[in-house]
Amino acid sequence: MNYNWNWGIFFEPSPEGTGTYADMLLSGLVWTIATALSSWVIAFFLGSLVGVMRTLPSKAANAVGTAYVELFRNIPLLVQMFLWYFVLPEVLPQSWGNALKQLPNAPFYTGVVCLGFFTASRVAEQVRAGIQSLPRGQGLAGTAMGFTVYQTYRYVLLPNAYRVILPPMTSEFLNNLKNTSVALTIGLLELTARARSMQEFSFQVFEAFTAATILYVLINLFVIVLASLLERSVAVPGQR
Amino acid sequence: MTSTPMPAPTATTPVAPGSVAPSDSGLQSGPLTSPPPRIATGTPMIAIDNVSKWYGDFQVLTNCTTQVAKGEVVVVCGPSGSGKSTLIKCVNALEPIQKGQITVNDTKVVDKATDLPKLRSRVGMVFQHFELFPHLSITENLTVAQRKVLKRPAEEAKKKGMDLLARVGLSAHADKYPGQLSGGQQQRVAIARALAMNPVVMLFDEPTSALDPEMVGEVLDVMVELAKEGMTMMVVTHEMGFARKVADRVIFMDRGEIVEDARKEDFFGQPRSERAQQFLSKILQH
Amino acid sequence: MFSNFDFGVVFGSLPYLFGTGMVFTVTLTALAAGMGVVLGTLLAMARLSGVPGLKHVAKVYVELMRSLPLVLVIFWFYFLVPYIGAYLTGASRPIQVGAFSSALITFTLFEAAYFSEIMRAGIQSIPKGQTGAAYALGMTYAQTMITVVLPQAFRNMLPLLLTQTIVLFQDTSLVYVLSLTDFLGAASKVAQRDGRLVEMYLFAAVVYFAVCFSASFLVRRLQRRVAIIR
Repeated sequence: MNYNWNWGIFFEPSPEGTGTYADMLLSGLVWTIATALSSWVIAFFLGSLVGVMRTLPSKAANAVGTAYVELFRNIPLLVQMFLWYFVLPEVLPQSWGNALKQLPNAPFYTGVVCLGFFTASRVAEQVRAGIQSLPRGQGLAGTAMGFTVYQTYRYVLLPNAYRVILPPMTSEFLNNLKNTSVALTIGLLELTARARSMQEFSFQVFEAFTAATILYVLINLFVIVLASLLERSVAVPGQR
Repeated sequence: MTSTPMPAPTATTPVAPGSVAPSDSGLQSGPLTSPPPRIATGTPMIAIDNVSKWYGDFQVLTNCTTQVAKGEVVVVCGPSGSGKSTLIKCVNALEPIQKGQITVNDTKVVDKATDLPKLRSRVGMVFQHFELFPHLSITENLTVAQRKVLKRPAEEAKKKGMDLLARVGLSAHADKYPGQLSGGQQQRVAIARALAMNPVVMLFDEPTSALDPEMVGEVLDVMVELAKEGMTMMVVTHEMGFARKVADRVIFMDRGEIVEDARKEDFFGQPRSERAQQFLSKILQH
Repeated sequence: MFSNFDFGVVFGSLPYLFGTGMVFTVTLTALAAGMGVVLGTLLAMARLSGVPGLKHVAKVYVELMRSLPLVLVIFWFYFLVPYIGAYLTGASRPIQVGAFSSALITFTLFEAAYFSEIMRAGIQSIPKGQTGAAYALGMTYAQTMITVVLPQAFRNMLPLLLTQTIVLFQDTSLVYVLSLTDFLGAASKVAQRDGRLVEMYLFAAVVYFAVCFSASFLVRRLQRRVAIIR
């Protein structure tokens, strides 16, 4: 194989003139993490809401929840990214559309919203499964004690459901984190995009991708450790 | 009995019901002529020699030694967790042992040179939960190992399977799937499946304990029939009625040890160990 | 709202979108799913084999693939495959690998990690007594796997394997980053050429939705039917 390895490349200045290639990758990492965390906030709350709706007795709530999940689950994330970025500003009233187009950091905000809505559909499925895995008597007991529906969910069902679904929620969080790379197609300079530009500038393709790979693996490990700590700290004594 | 290299004793050939069964085993009442325990004439079919087994630090079998002679029916009983199921699974190496040796039909089980699939193909086993293959029809269950392991032609395997299915009285169910049969029927098919391999010995691991009470009889009937025909059998069971009827010897196990190994008459007459006495009094109360 | 949009551009480009784009997408999905399931099953067997080296290699491979974004993996293989090809053929320069082959290799290797997790769960879901019974009948490891364990595991896992294939169908749209002409790539090229992004992307979304929604509906119906009678 005729490939000229050059691991020193990371300490050479990048042609952008703002630091070394290593700095370039690290700034990508920061954007990846910022996008992942911001979109997770949307995904978590919106997903919980949709998931709860699918467990309510109301037919209408159910239908809305189901429609949401089916819509966002059956369109590729990349297409959704394009819809938010290219299509939405055109179909909104003109003044709104123009405002969107002039938004600074548009790729970041678009990416966050798109990922948030996309991941929410997956979170919703987990939340629904978690609630449905609880014994039926739990909800009835809540109602029997005079809780409103909201209170039953808030104090009885959700606290237990979240504990049950913590492991699959961890993988959804990691999926969301990996999916941030799809936002490079709308110009977000996250980690994969930065590795790609480093490759284009320096031609040291394998060093760039290796560094990105290691960074992704490290974040994964970090999240897994964090999740198991969280799992332990919220575990209810005497259960499982 | 075609194309099998090992000379199987005539007694083990599954013969049609009604044909002459050897008279030196099975329902024999004269205690004077039955062989004394542990000392079998000729080479034993199964020799378990000083076998110990651990799961991690936990010892499940401790220095177990016993033998099963050709044509002999040996019942193994004991409280749950006594290691009896583990012991019988060691005979065909479904469970590895850490110490000792087991010899089946002159083949060492603990030996790297032993062709375990070949050995197992001559040792029939019937499981507590039947373990028919749920994705295969009854006919396929009866023929799959004949064809893949013994390399019998499809026609021959099918004929053999159908003959045995008729013997256990289930010919009408040949094209069904295991899930469509009752537990008792499934277990009878499982016995037929094991017999289809022309085994020299049959192992039964609690064959009736997962069955509803009304189905126990039909399975025991098949086993009694088999014993009468002279099949060598090692049977883990709580069915003391079966033991009284057809066993030559009874082995009692407790906490991984063989506590008592006696002729049936002696075991039911006056068990020597206190533990066996307690066990018998509990199990025979009802 | 849509008054100044021209959906005629969609109709004009239908032969291109489906004849070129969708054929690419479906072929890539079908081949990668087929090969991915085979490789994934082998990886699952390796992980469950208990053979020290083999077990660990399979585990590291699966975990590594699952912790990387698909986009990065696509880039990796796009650049790596020519070098591997050169290494395998002994050529002195990176060899040219067609865009389709490169994508096929990427998706097969990537999805195999996900299929392997499904098959691992499937194999583990088969009761130990089933393998015991197969061994007791004298079957070898290979015979036990092929005639007893894998058919049941595959059947139990079929709905999950198909669902993962629908995900793969959606994921193939990411070959966009290599400027390949899959269904989305074709739509995107027409969109750029005619300046009709809104119409083309909306149409692409509708088509993907229709395909995936009907496919998952069928999978759910299948799921109710395949459950093995026990």
